[in-house]
Amino acid sequence: MKRVWFAIVAIILSSQSPAQAYLKLGAAIGGQVIDVSWRQPVRYFVSDRDGTGATAADLRGAISRATATWQAVPSATVRFEFLGATSVAPGGADGRTTLGFLDRPDLDRVLGSTSFLIDTTNGAIVEADVFFNTRFTWSVSPQGEAGRVDLESVVLHELGHLLGLGHSALGETERTGTGGRRVLASGAVMFPIAMTAGAIADRVLQPDDIAGISDLYPAAGQVESTGGITGRVTKNGQGLLGAHVVAFNPESGALVGNFSLNMSGEFAMVRLAPGPYLLRVEPLDDAEIDSFFSTAIDTDFRVTYASRMVVAPKGGSSASIEIKVPPK
Amino acid sequence: MTLRTACLIVLVLSSTASAQSAEPPTLRAHRATVSGGVTWSGSYPVGTRNAILRSSVVGASPPPFTLFSAASTVASIAGLEGRVGFAVTRNLVVEIGGAFAKPRVSTAISADPEVAAQVLEGEELQQYAFDAGAVWQLPFRFGRRARPFVSGGGGYLRQLHEGRTLVETGQIYYAGGGVRYWIRGGSGTRRSLGVRADARATWKKDGIDFDNRTRTFPTVSAFVFFEF
Repeated sequence: MKRVWFAIVAIILSSQSPAQAYLKLGAAIGGQVIDVSWRQPVRYFVSDRDGTGATAADLRGAISRATATWQAVPSATVRFEFLGATSVAPGGADGRTTLGFLDRPDLDRVLGSTSFLIDTTNGAIVEADVFFNTRFTWSVSPQGEAGRVDLESVVLHELGHLLGLGHSALGETERTGTGGRRVLASGAVMFPIAMTAGAIADRVLQPDDIAGISDLYPAAGQVESTGGITGRVTKNGQGLLGAHVVAFNPESGALVGNFSLNMSGEFAMVRLAPGPYLLRVEPLDDAEIDSFFSTAIDTDFRVTYASRMVVAPKGGSSASIEIKVPPK
Repeated sequence: MTLRTACLIVLVLSSTASAQSAEPPTLRAHRATVSGGVTWSGSYPVGTRNAILRSSVVGASPPPFTLFSAASTVASIAGLEGRVGFAVTRNLVVEIGGAFAKPRVSTAISADPEVAAQVLEGEELQQYAFDAGAVWQLPFRFGRRARPFVSGGGGYLRQLHEGRTLVETGQIYYAGGGVRYWIRGGSGTRRSLGVRADARATWKKDGIDFDNRTRTFPTVSAFVFFEF
């Protein structure tokens, strides 16, 4: 078995480079990218170190609530198992999955981060460590506390990474006076920039998060009872890589995002509730690109809607729809 | 058959109404009536929904952040309709009917700060309606050969999304009235031929509707009928 430390995925307080849609983490194996996921259950330890504004016991409580939230997704099968407290700090490749507070003054914008040990023969996650930066003042108040970062919200986000989810680009940001970006609103717990300190809305998963986790760990019958949408984004007749495609269900109000992920401009969304969807295609903000695409992507196009609704059929996938985007 | 074709048929049949009976025409008890023609349904909304993000505001219930708003409408459409009735009495007919149409669901996008308001072309549905109802012929006439009636009933609606990828079902109820005009027959034992025009208010429950509300829309139909 070959093992390798995998990507570090962080949630940040504010950023100069946010965003990606509901994506799964992947590992290149035998020339193919396969999903990175656990062979369940996820067994973990929690470090006994206190953080700023929250104790290790508070962290265990927040983790307990957040694991319960992920486990409660009816369309997915996720199982966590708490093995106990440990004096070992998260971050080492010791074969144990550990979550805990850690002082990282070098990462003064990073609230928390997840790293993995992957079995590169099959994509199985062998170990994942999550740290929460003690440079920030945390809160576990049920109502939230202005000026303090809600610990449960950030734990929920990092557990999403731990399970194998990437970031979501479903959100809106604005530039700050210091050149960074601030989140105005988000459509996923897995949005890479945390909400304003004190906000607690991200203790609840959104449809984009649920679609992602249901894709990675589908519950029995999910494949048959949900649908998918496929299509291509093109500009001037050529496929367009890196377009952010958002599917909107006008009946439920659910928003789910993904990207066109190859040079043909193809995209696919799965585990959607059957029904018609509106599709909106938008370019990534300039500031978001480098963090998520190692190759150049085209952002020189205008926000465009598909000309008609696309139906995600139960147990199947839509016929491919082409969405032609005009240049800016 | 298009609406224009059907109107032509009605005109031709009207022009052949030469055999005028001295006795005013009426329905005959225990006879069957078959009608076929075109129907037109008015447009109706099927729901307005905002695409909402969570705003980054402190508090348990942050105000919503609207990404865009989508208002969907089933467009007015002409289709085909057929009905078979049985006259229980000279004034009361029970009948069943079926209709087919291919309306479009269009969507108006607004409140998107990055895109001008626009109406999307929409998808084409295949719509089937089957109903059962009653027609009560009123006890007076318009001229010598036309008689008004009121009608009401209910039935089943089946709507298929484009490409037959998804089926949505619902119920329809209607109330209205119309006029029957006998071109031939309508008295004695002779078979009858005529035209019929219906105007109905139709209530639709379920089927394609993003707000799951009951919708009301007008329906107008024109038929040629035969009574056996």
